[in-house]
Amino acid sequence: MRKRVFIRWQDIVPFIAFAAIFIFFSVTSGGKMLSAFNLKMLLDQSMVVVLMGCGMLFVVAQGSIDLSVGVNLALSGVFGVWFGFATGVIWLMIPAALVCGLAVGLLNGFLVSKLKVPSFMLTIAMLIGVRGIVNYIQQYIGTQMLPTSLAFLNQPPVKIPLFIVIVVIMVYLFEFTKIGRYSRAIGENETAAEYVGIPVSKIKIIAFALSGLMAGVGAFFAVIGVGGTSQTMGVFMEMKVAMAVFLGGVLVTGGASAKIYKVLLGSFSITIIVNGLALIGHPESQISESVEGILLLLILLATIFATRRDRQSGRMLPEGKNSGSLEFAEQKNRKADGKSV
Amino acid sequence: MLVVAVIVCIFLAFHLISGGTFLQMDNLAIVISHTVYPTFMAWGLCFLFACGYTDMSIGGVVVLGSFATGVLGNMYGYPGAVLGGLAVGLILVFINFLIFAFSGIPSWIAGISLAMIYEAIAVAVKLNPTLKPLIETDMNQNIRLFGSFPWSLILLFIGLFIVYLIYNRTTIGLNIRAIGGNQQVSKALGISLIRTLLFVGLITGILIGVAAFIQESYAGQTTVKTGLTSMYMIFQPLAIVLLAQILQRWINIIIAVPICAFIIYSVFTLLTTMGVPSGTLQEASLCVFLIVFGIIGRFGYKGVVK
Amino acid sequence: MTDGANILEVKGLNKYFGPTHANVDIDFTIKRGEIKGLIGENGSGKSTLISQIAGIYRYDSGSMTLNGEPYAPHSPKDANREKIAMVMQELGVVGTLPAGVNVFLGRTQQFTKAGFVNLKEVYAAAEKIFTQWDLPMPPLHQLAEGMMVETRKMIELARALSIDPDLLLLDEITQSLSMNNRDRLYGLIGKLKGMGRSVLVITHDVDELIEITDTITVLRDGAVVGEADSRRTTADEIKRMMVGRSMSGEYYREDQAPDYREKVMLTVRDMAVPGEIEDVSFELHEGEILGFCGLSDSGIHSVGKAVYGLSRLSSGSVRMEYADKDVKTAEQALATGAAYVPKDRDSEALMIHASVLDNICLPSVEELEGKVMYLAPGKLRALTNEMVEKFSVRTTGVHQTMDALSGGNKQKINLGRWLAKDLKLLILDCPTRGVDVGVKAYIYSLMKEAKKNGIATLLISDELTEVLGMADRLMVMKDGRITKVIRRDENFTEQSVIGAMI
Repeated sequence: MRKRVFIRWQDIVPFIAFAAIFIFFSVTSGGKMLSAFNLKMLLDQSMVVVLMGCGMLFVVAQGSIDLSVGVNLALSGVFGVWFGFATGVIWLMIPAALVCGLAVGLLNGFLVSKLKVPSFMLTIAMLIGVRGIVNYIQQYIGTQMLPTSLAFLNQPPVKIPLFIVIVVIMVYLFEFTKIGRYSRAIGENETAAEYVGIPVSKIKIIAFALSGLMAGVGAFFAVIGVGGTSQTMGVFMEMKVAMAVFLGGVLVTGGASAKIYKVLLGSFSITIIVNGLALIGHPESQISESVEGILLLLILLATIFATRRDRQSGRMLPEGKNSGSLEFAEQKNRKADGKSV
Repeated sequence: MLVVAVIVCIFLAFHLISGGTFLQMDNLAIVISHTVYPTFMAWGLCFLFACGYTDMSIGGVVVLGSFATGVLGNMYGYPGAVLGGLAVGLILVFINFLIFAFSGIPSWIAGISLAMIYEAIAVAVKLNPTLKPLIETDMNQNIRLFGSFPWSLILLFIGLFIVYLIYNRTTIGLNIRAIGGNQQVSKALGISLIRTLLFVGLITGILIGVAAFIQESYAGQTTVKTGLTSMYMIFQPLAIVLLAQILQRWINIIIAVPICAFIIYSVFTLLTTMGVPSGTLQEASLCVFLIVFGIIGRFGYKGVVK
Repeated sequence: MTDGANILEVKGLNKYFGPTHANVDIDFTIKRGEIKGLIGENGSGKSTLISQIAGIYRYDSGSMTLNGEPYAPHSPKDANREKIAMVMQELGVVGTLPAGVNVFLGRTQQFTKAGFVNLKEVYAAAEKIFTQWDLPMPPLHQLAEGMMVETRKMIELARALSIDPDLLLLDEITQSLSMNNRDRLYGLIGKLKGMGRSVLVITHDVDELIEITDTITVLRDGAVVGEADSRRTTADEIKRMMVGRSMSGEYYREDQAPDYREKVMLTVRDMAVPGEIEDVSFELHEGEILGFCGLSDSGIHSVGKAVYGLSRLSSGSVRMEYADKDVKTAEQALATGAAYVPKDRDSEALMIHASVLDNICLPSVEELEGKVMYLAPGKLRALTNEMVEKFSVRTTGVHQTMDALSGGNKQKINLGRWLAKDLKLLILDCPTRGVDVGVKAYIYSLMKEAKKNGIATLLISDELTEVLGMADRLMVMKDGRITKVIRRDENFTEQSVIGAMI
């Protein structure tokens, strides 16, 4: 009896979306997308998104959002490399970037959990503010180039195992430890989590810290990938990562819908979209931007309808509250997102 | 009374910091004409927030609305300018609301998607060879009266009067606030959710349209924004509304908005006169502002925060 | 319009929600000037039926006639137009608007001149309604946000009365009212009856229902299973109809003396939470059930929260003697082996869109943790299966989501997940709120078992009979302070308690 499998639409939608996107661009690009060179590029491009998506997932699972990861990546990268040069030991850029990312994450976590600043508003403010700081720093130190001695880090035999190890750690933390479990509980019902005795504030800080730390890791991958830092580093990255998480079918309200495989799928989906649009010959940014916007809307719609379907079937209705419950949940979201600004 | 005293003190302090230039008439005129269009945007946000929505695409709408104001204004004079801005604001914000109301996607994320689309349209317009020269021509000086002092101030007062009445003294205003407060109950009381939301779309659309019209009148030309930078345009109105929400305890929010707009712009003017570079550290200070207001607004708040 | 004629007739009414047949061929009438009760277990379709009369849902088949005319409301507004008003079960006021505006919300058109609402008239009209019906007047100009549950209920009631209803529908409203306001409500119902108006009341409290109604209709599994005349029926007869079998009348404790061990488990000293409770001190012993009762704003619910570390104390201390620890946060309380079951199951205790497994394991995560913080999926499943079996929860599997379960099964999980642990202290806030008689009896048996195992229980309840039936000692609270402590072998009666409550 307990072997019975529950297939939920909301769990399938990300696969369908991924398959559709993959097939669409494979065909329209005339096979260019599947060339060995391009596949390698796809993998390269999706790595940073996957890593940061895994970090952001903890925050999204709690029903919050971290839109500061893009600028955090820029700040961590710029600071890390500067620190490496300044100390003369270029290796120190790695811990420096990680510490910087972690620090920004901790600050976010502290402000959200202890001072109750809504995460959406906070991280959007950080998005402007930290970008200002990055620009300010860049004005003084200019574009930084990594020494060639570090180029070997960008070789697949080094980079890919490192990537896999980090992702496995994140999967473990999210699926098999209390950090992930509590994060989902907070997203499902924060009051209930608090009343059970879960250290909600602590878990929130940990989630934002992890998101920040992964932005630091992302900064490392981005720096070695590009070979240096620049003013445009990490621009639009937070949107790409957030889209990856939501394209993967994680609900904005978080909770039990948050699964790490969805982040992987979503990251590949968004990378394929960006890459595919370039391949089929629409280099102008405005086309890809609008296509991304429309796609994001469509896939969110699909996820929401799938969830609605799941909740409608298989529900024994508590009397009198039937049709209300989902709408009520949505209303609460709306309220939350209204208040969050 | 206390609030008024505090505000007066703040301005006196500004005056001293700026070395006696702040309270001079022409400086005030500049600050005021600067605050008018964000004030209208902020009022729009008030209605949005009142019913529990956030619309991140408003910046994109203002850009497109400004295009329409400029182009149609140059072609048909005032009627073209006014109607152009209003029509674009109204139609696009209305579309947004249709999407928010019917899709069930949380509004802020749907708004981000829409912002992308509007930005893309703006770029497409700019790249179009026939439209490019039109939008790059400055708006005709003689139809830009409402962008400058004292006409902008008059517009502000007219706006204040109308918006105040709508928000506080009409059935639709009360219904909007009811829906934001408790959707289920409002529905059960026979308030039509969709109808009310579409009204919010309408009102917000008009306010955003007016904002676009004033913006273009003030600036003469609007630059295209890409990569979601149009979202930056709502941050200042956002800061205004957040501050106004804190003052709400003492002053009606609709009246608080222009006051807060004035305070915030004064601060930025001050920062500029003190030599703080824009584009870098001014952004950082805006960020600090937002966060500080966010924290103050939450003092003593016990509910769940996401 | 004479008394005795049917005001509302419902014939062959059916309502489906997806696969659920919520109302089955309902035949049902209300006479003019009649006070009718509607009762049934959770999930029996009472609220569904009343919601259809009020126009919240539309029925799938069958018919309704109002005063002999076909009646098919599309919205509550339609129902209002036909002079049918409803006070809903859940909280129904808009916090962002003033109390006075709430009374006429959705109907402010009538105060509109030239497009603008005359707020002065709105407030005056609202004031008139509160005076006319002798309801406690809230501050009409203040936002409803932050007003007490009871005050909000009164605003709702005023709203319903403001349409001058011929038929008033009351869905479970007495449970959130204090004793004196209940009396006011009963008076109001009598007044309506005197005016030839009809009232339809839903409540879980059988005795109350018999007391205030003329006739009672009993629902089971969505269908009408019986009608009774309130003057002739008994509580046992109604209960028997509700569950379809006869219930043993006594499910409370039978002994008449306190029975607990010497060992002190919990010491609370001078506990105070600003604006909620003051000077609360007591000791709780091993195997003791300590009852807390009082009016809904007396602070009884705050005591539970504060003991579990969920409120910031302005003074005093909470000491878990069994663990030799002062507790300041819920996290510490959880770690010592304490449990807290809050009042509102769906919004404060359970994650209703998560699985049965997620819900059951939540409080036990720390115990299930292995090396390197590892939570073995097998262990979680084993615990869940054990609990599902032990408390005979009806589910299709551990991964089923909570919202598919009935209220009783949810409450079993809510309580059972704590009893799975090595528990020392159990804080229960209205554990039987809104569950039917069968589950209620089951919960009492669980409490008795916990007591036998030496668990110290803090039982907070609005229902006086429940506390009297279960507690060893009883703390009566009023205005945030303990006003009286009664032992089971002393003057353990409703009269003595009510005296200290009001």
